[in-house]
Amino acid sequence: MDKIKITILCCHYTNEATEEDFADIPAEIELKRYPCSGRIEVVDILKALEQGAEAVLVAGCENGTCHNRTGSTRAEKKVELAREILSEIDMDPQKVNMTFVPRLDSGALVAAVKETFEKLLRIKEAA
Amino acid sequence: MIVAERKPIKQILEMIEPYSKVAVIGCRGCVAICSAGGDREVEILSAALRLARKNNGKPLETIEKTLVRQCDPEYLTPLAKLKDQVEAAISLACGVGVNLASDLYPDIKIYPGVNTTFYGANPALGKWEEMCRGCGDCILDLTGGICPIARCAKNLLNGPCGGSQNSRCEIDPDTPCVWQLIYDRLKARGELEKLAKIWAPKNWIPAGYGGPRKRERPDLEINNKSKHSGGVK
Amino acid sequence: MSEDKKYLSHLERVLKEGHFAVTCEIGPPKSADPEVVRKKARIIRGFVDAANITDCQTAIVRMSSIASGVLVREEGVEPVIQMTCRDRNRIGIQADLLGAAALGMRNLLCLTGDHPKFGNHPEAKGVFDLDSIQLLDMVRRMRDEKKFQCGEEIKGKAPEFFLGAAENPFADPFEFRVHRMAKKMAAGAQFIQTQIIYNLERFRKFMEMARDLGLTEKLFILAGVTPPKSFGMARYMKYFVPGLDVPDEILTRLKDAKDKKEEGINIAVEIIEQVREIPGVAGVHIMAIEWEEAVPEIVKRAGLEKRPLAEEVKPVVKEERVPEVVITEEKPEVVPEPEAPPKVEVPVEALKNVFSSLRSSMEALRDGINMLHEGLANLEKTLLGGEVPPPPPSEEKRPPVEEVPREPKPEAPAIPKEEEEKAKQVADLLSAAKAAQESGDYEKALNLYEQVLSLEPENELAKNAIEALKKEQKIAELLKIAKEKLEAKELDEAEKLFKEVLEISPEQEEGRAGLARVEELKAEEKPPVVEEKPEEKPEVKAETPEVSEILVFSDLSSDYRDVSERAAGIPEDVYKEPGSAWIKEVTIGEGDKKITFGGTNVLPFHLFEGEMKNPPRVAMEVLDVKPEDWPEAIAKYFEDVFDDPGEWAKKCVEVYGAEAINIYLVGTDPNFLNLGPDHAAKVVEKVAKAVDVPLVIWGSGSPEKDVDVIREVANVLGAKNVMVGPVVDTNHRALGATAMGYGYALIASSPIDVNLAKQLNILLENVGVPLDRIGMDPSVGAVGYGLEYTYSVMERIRLAALYAGDDKLQVPFVINVGREVWKTKEAGLPSDEMLGEQEIRGIALEAITAISLLMAGGDFLVMRHPKAIEVTHKIIKGLMAQE
Repeated sequence: MDKIKITILCCHYTNEATEEDFADIPAEIELKRYPCSGRIEVVDILKALEQGAEAVLVAGCENGTCHNRTGSTRAEKKVELAREILSEIDMDPQKVNMTFVPRLDSGALVAAVKETFEKLLRIKEAA
Repeated sequence: MIVAERKPIKQILEMIEPYSKVAVIGCRGCVAICSAGGDREVEILSAALRLARKNNGKPLETIEKTLVRQCDPEYLTPLAKLKDQVEAAISLACGVGVNLASDLYPDIKIYPGVNTTFYGANPALGKWEEMCRGCGDCILDLTGGICPIARCAKNLLNGPCGGSQNSRCEIDPDTPCVWQLIYDRLKARGELEKLAKIWAPKNWIPAGYGGPRKRERPDLEINNKSKHSGGVK
Repeated sequence: MSEDKKYLSHLERVLKEGHFAVTCEIGPPKSADPEVVRKKARIIRGFVDAANITDCQTAIVRMSSIASGVLVREEGVEPVIQMTCRDRNRIGIQADLLGAAALGMRNLLCLTGDHPKFGNHPEAKGVFDLDSIQLLDMVRRMRDEKKFQCGEEIKGKAPEFFLGAAENPFADPFEFRVHRMAKKMAAGAQFIQTQIIYNLERFRKFMEMARDLGLTEKLFILAGVTPPKSFGMARYMKYFVPGLDVPDEILTRLKDAKDKKEEGINIAVEIIEQVREIPGVAGVHIMAIEWEEAVPEIVKRAGLEKRPLAEEVKPVVKEERVPEVVITEEKPEVVPEPEAPPKVEVPVEALKNVFSSLRSSMEALRDGINMLHEGLANLEKTLLGGEVPPPPPSEEKRPPVEEVPREPKPEAPAIPKEEEEKAKQVADLLSAAKAAQESGDYEKALNLYEQVLSLEPENELAKNAIEALKKEQKIAELLKIAKEKLEAKELDEAEKLFKEVLEISPEQEEGRAGLARVEELKAEEKPPVVEEKPEEKPEVKAETPEVSEILVFSDLSSDYRDVSERAAGIPEDVYKEPGSAWIKEVTIGEGDKKITFGGTNVLPFHLFEGEMKNPPRVAMEVLDVKPEDWPEAIAKYFEDVFDDPGEWAKKCVEVYGAEAINIYLVGTDPNFLNLGPDHAAKVVEKVAKAVDVPLVIWGSGSPEKDVDVIREVANVLGAKNVMVGPVVDTNHRALGATAMGYGYALIASSPIDVNLAKQLNILLENVGVPLDRIGMDPSVGAVGYGLEYTYSVMERIRLAALYAGDDKLQVPFVINVGREVWKTKEAGLPSDEMLGEQEIRGIALEAITAISLLMAGGDFLVMRHPKAIEVTHKIIKGLMAQE
């Protein structure tokens, strides 16, 4: 059976995570970096799902630490809109998640990915 | 600008249900500015439609295109090619665009992707408010620049009605009473006498109740020879 | 009945004869049951002078006011019918009023009406063709001028109503309410019924204002009174009914009362007693909402039970009721429907057949008439050339025509449809083409015109336009080349081209201007050409002062006030946030000429919270070969020394006071001249001999070539405290080793990215280069060419270094400004009105870029223009001032 795929869209500066960091998670993790999470568009989230991701995690800097000041809060709003669109087309909006992680801390990101993975498992079970 | 709003995706999915390849056509005019039908919205809608159809096991192919405007024939010419590429198109332009495109390219089934809502301003990011109704007979000179036709729930010309309370309209506490605004502005300008006059019933023909409206500028028409036959070329 | 002539209605008579009037309200049922209305009327009969019948109050569908009015009148109560503008346009309103008058209605209250939103059909389209004031005006004219709203005369009996209106003394703007009431009076209102009054204070004020305007003399004002049926209802009115002001006192009274209804009636009676005292109040209007039984009680207790003229009126009413009674007697006649059943005995199917055959023959007849019409129209069209005036005499024949979908009106020109469409298409294309032409998009215009010709090969407009366009295109082409030649100083060529332009279009302005310029330049050029070349230099020098004259930079104000003084009273730790680490210091050069940069623990120039041990430094740039692309504005300063890098460096130091020299070995670039390492070595040697300021040796940027070049330079230069670069990840080992061997500092160059910059520092450290021998070049862009991105990356690096303790980033920045600025298009464009003087523009571009990047953390800048350097220094000095 194919592995579950999770796509992470994240700010380039929040972490230095590499594939090894996600080795523990039994899923295919795709990491897409952006100059700032504020650059992540709704369409990026939708396209990630279209390209086979079963869940998408958007990661941005913690409130107040975004270098571009409001990049991660913008990202959060994009996530909300993406969720609305998913609801409109009868997909579980919980498949898209937002996390705020400390800068340059890969650990928090890895934890968030794990959480996303577990949440996805629950969604799949319930379905 | 003309303000519009994306139709519910389900409605759009119903329109294109029989097709497997459609074009999503945006417009960089008003609808782009009011974030309803520009490049970004074209991308998002296309992705959402594809995703929904993928989930249903009936994959959809989309062509995304955003035109400079959809209310001028010359900008619609790219549609000519579309006919052979797709089975239908969704236009994210206002109703004007959908009409004109359908008139000019009757072979393409063009469906509306947005609901055209009103002529409005964008007073703050993410907010649009109706400011004009295109009634064809502007009276803003008499009302301090505030339009009672567009902004009064009852289009009163001799307002305010008895529902004006604390500057709010009775229909909705978030809506200002436009006649209070008019009163305040005229008062500030020392022009309250403008309100003493009884306003005669409005002629609604220019507002469109006399049939579809047209505008002509013979001097701009290129082959309008008859009237200018004596003119210098 | 004689009274009828004098007064339109009983209510009018009561008011005009000076009696205190009492009216009340009857709400018709949400059904077709007449008994409901009759019953309500019977309850109040004898206690009021007239009763209003609401017109779909709060936009809820109910039996119509006029029909209910008829029922009420049959019960011996005079109705006041109501009419809103919400549900009918001016046609519907007038029609209904004609009917109402015919049915004996004599009082009319004109209202705008509640918005449909409040009712049970919130999705209905509110009509609002008129508003209440326009409605009053219209009905008054119908009565007094016998005219419909459109101005047409009412032939025969006009509808005659005693006219009323509503007014809400509690709506806003308060001071305007009486004026609006005056407008209503002017429009035709004879009496006013007010909104429900609980707040007497405000109502008194309202009446006072009305008296001041003299309204009470001409207008009968009836105060609106409603007995609150329960505490809940009062609370509802207070909070949810727009335009109603219920004081808390009323709520408390109801809340505390044992018998709420009793208390409600008490409140209403008290209010009536109080409003009676107010001068100008002509009566009360009791609105006992769905509680008509309360009306007699209230009227009795208020002492208003004996209605004036009741006896006299009754006969009048009775008399009018006679026909009613007749109507009642007529009922059996009106009831043919119940009688219908016996008729059902007739075979239904047979009847249906008869009807349908009748119908079809009527239709056939109608078709025939229509055909006749069409034939007539066609005949007229043929005879009169299409300009058929709408045949007015056909009015009588028309109705049948209207039954049929209307024929499109005979369009004036009888052009066949295809041609018409083609003409339209041509017109569209032409207008689009014209627009394109006007906006300068000749190609699009040409294309469109050609499309026109493909449709209409003889279209004159398109033909002419194409010819003109081609001419214009040709001119544009010629001008472009001519300008290039002019810039390249190929004057003869330029002259020829400009002349060609003028041949095509003698009045072409640019062509004329160009030619003039060529002649000017030729005149200037000739003498110096004859003289020896060196003479050019003084000429250039003579020009130099011009700009210097314009650009005199004064020092920034050095009037320094410490922040602690300005922030008096605010604890220091609130505004001071020095970094937790230091940027390393890098020293280059020898002896007393050596310079140090870096060494700060705060963001640039935040001297109030930390320290910058060294001011930012500025090196001037010398090239190893004669520059080819330098704009005149910068070239003229160094043209005399272009051939000799040593002399060039000397000029920089001696004339322009450079504190360091950056030798840019661009000639070694494999993609440019690809000169060998030996050439580079010679150049560096020359410069090193000529000046004693610190040197920076900047390779061409080709990673492999730079390794060879720097090695050769090192061979010649030996161990000297210079800085070399650029080092990138692919050549960091080789260059790192060379630098370590000779004790050089390094420029670590990375492509605008925090992590890559950091990584390169780590790599260099790994091969043994200490961080205090590294300057970071984050790759910069000039203003307008990505400066923001550079700025942002530098800022992030600096914040990570100082505040996040990222020790691998605690390295000063080396920023190459001049190279980026002087290669931009804007720096090289000639002087013109819009962009201004070329040299000033260039200086501004370089200085602004430099200063912006200083703000981002730049520690060591490489620049070119002496004036730009001068202003940069002045600003550094100003910002560093602490005294």
